Amino acid sequence: MNKAILIDHLVKEFVVNEKRPGFIGGISSIFSPKKKIVKALKGISLSVNKGEFVGFIGPNGAGKTTTLKILSGLLYPTDGFVEVLDHDPWERKEEFLKRISLVMGQKNQLWWDLPAIETFELNRAIYGIPKKEYEKNLEELVDLLSVGKLLKTQVRRLSLGQRMKMELIAALLHKPEILFLDEPTIGLDVIAQQKVRDFIYQYNKKYESTILLTSHNMSDLVDLAERMVVINDGQIVFDGDFGELIRHFGKNKLIKISLSQEVDIKKLESIGKVVSLSFPQVTLSVPRASSAVAASELLQEFPVADLTIEEVPIEDVVRKVFGGKEKS
Amino acid sequence: MWSERFLVVKKNPSMKLQKYLMILKISFLQEFAYRFNFVMWRVRNVIQVFIAFYFWDTLFADPGKVIFGYDRAKILTYVFAILFIRSIVLSARAVDIAGQISNGELSNLLLKPVNFFKYWFARDLSSKALNVVFAFIETFLLYLLLRPPIFLQTTLINLIGAIVFVLLAILLFYFLLFITNMVAFWMPENGWAAQFLIIGIVTEFFSGGVFPLNIFPEGAQVVFGYLPFQYLLYFPVQVYLGNVAGAEITRGFVVVVGWIVALYFLTTKIWLRGLKNYASEGR
Repeated sequence: MNKAILIDHLVKEFVVNEKRPGFIGGISSIFSPKKKIVKALKGISLSVNKGEFVGFIGPNGAGKTTTLKILSGLLYPTDGFVEVLDHDPWERKEEFLKRISLVMGQKNQLWWDLPAIETFELNRAIYGIPKKEYEKNLEELVDLLSVGKLLKTQVRRLSLGQRMKMELIAALLHKPEILFLDEPTIGLDVIAQQKVRDFIYQYNKKYESTILLTSHNMSDLVDLAERMVVINDGQIVFDGDFGELIRHFGKNKLIKISLSQEVDIKKLESIGKVVSLSFPQVTLSVPRASSAVAASELLQEFPVADLTIEEVPIEDVVRKVFGGKEKS
Repeated sequence: MWSERFLVVKKNPSMKLQKYLMILKISFLQEFAYRFNFVMWRVRNVIQVFIAFYFWDTLFADPGKVIFGYDRAKILTYVFAILFIRSIVLSARAVDIAGQISNGELSNLLLKPVNFFKYWFARDLSSKALNVVFAFIETFLLYLLLRPPIFLQTTLINLIGAIVFVLLAILLFYFLLFITNMVAFWMPENGWAAQFLIIGIVTEFFSGGVFPLNIFPEGAQVVFGYLPFQYLLYFPVQVYLGNVAGAEITRGFVVVVGWIVALYFLTTKIWLRGLKNYASEGR
């Protein structure tokens, strides 16, 4: 079988106790809890092939993390069908757990008060990794992430970026076939983000492991995932490759020009919508189909020192998709 | 299903054992990372012994006095035995489960091919081992300091009986603690409160940790005999002191084993239901 993940009409509901505000409210909540059902996933369907790299994007609270938690067996689905590596994840069979890994950017599995190497050793025992294989994997991962000197440092003393690297090592020592990554670059600085991203990319290519990565940050996924799944409000609103996403939602292109002298803005408006203006930089939004024509017009009729044509930043694209969804 | 897996003996025993030995080791290291907490916890125990010691020492100032079947030596032995047995039976790491359920840290363990019950039991054992070492030193130092008359049990059957009941008490307390902690599945904010009430107050009081239970009226004692709590501290010490005879020991054994079996099944049941309710929050 070629499918790593199969999801069909997956529904997840949470029962939430609503707290009334204030002290009196708090007390009355104890005796007569007000229950509310929150639909986190409203029947999503998805299938992922082995070795595929899928990016999950969507705003906070869209259901990305809930999906990953169900796929890794942490949450019990309310309704629908889920199969991961031919297992029902929620049964949490040993053969299943040994083949997956989940890394969450928000918290860690590392033992906070001890050096990271202790957690690695523990994982070796828990996953039953043969000593030789463990040493080989560890050396390789430590090398790739260049954290060799930090193995014996107490985890609490590591920087966020260093900790994330250690988290990745801890999660990958047993060579999982499927790797779930939940916002792995959250809170990291740009350089650390890039390093983590590069590493994930290399890892996917080298071991052909299936990777599902969630993020609310598009740039996390631009160079990584071939396939994008946009999820909003518990539903999948887009599933396809990155270029398609742009074509689908990015109807316009951006032309950025640098002017050598001031011009009448009104005249610029006749070519395209002025998105931003801070002399000498002007950004125009033009329909994708006519972007080349618009560019040559600009070059001929205005004192343009420099010109570039760019894609609309993907954040804006996604915001547009979500915005449209929220209104309906 | 999970519960069946728990019962099945796995193929590779050395690998399995290594897994839990490793958990024991890391748990030990962790305790050392919080040395100061640990020392304070021990100080609390020592102070308790001091208070109890002076209380009973004053009450039994007259060496010939016998109350509720205790003379001076036996009551002071009781105080010391409780200090020691408490550190074996009541010291546990599983108190952290409630917190891990409510802050979502539980997810880390659920993701791993590790048996949850055995994991926490291994961690409890590391805590017990550490506490026993300290209790031993403390008991010795306190003995030198206070010079109490100590009752030494010489009958082999009582000594063996006491050891057996201590081992049973470890299991009994483990399941009691586990169940109490699982309250957090349904009331994440109140996990600590439940623990304080059930473990901190009910258990402490009815286990005989504060004073021997035979100072209570007969009727109450009969009820205590059927509840699990007295088998945590009081009963093992009574067996050591020789205050309970053959038939009573047999009955106690049946009751405590009955409780352990019942609580075991209850624990697995609640655990599976709790997991369905688990929201893996904060992560």
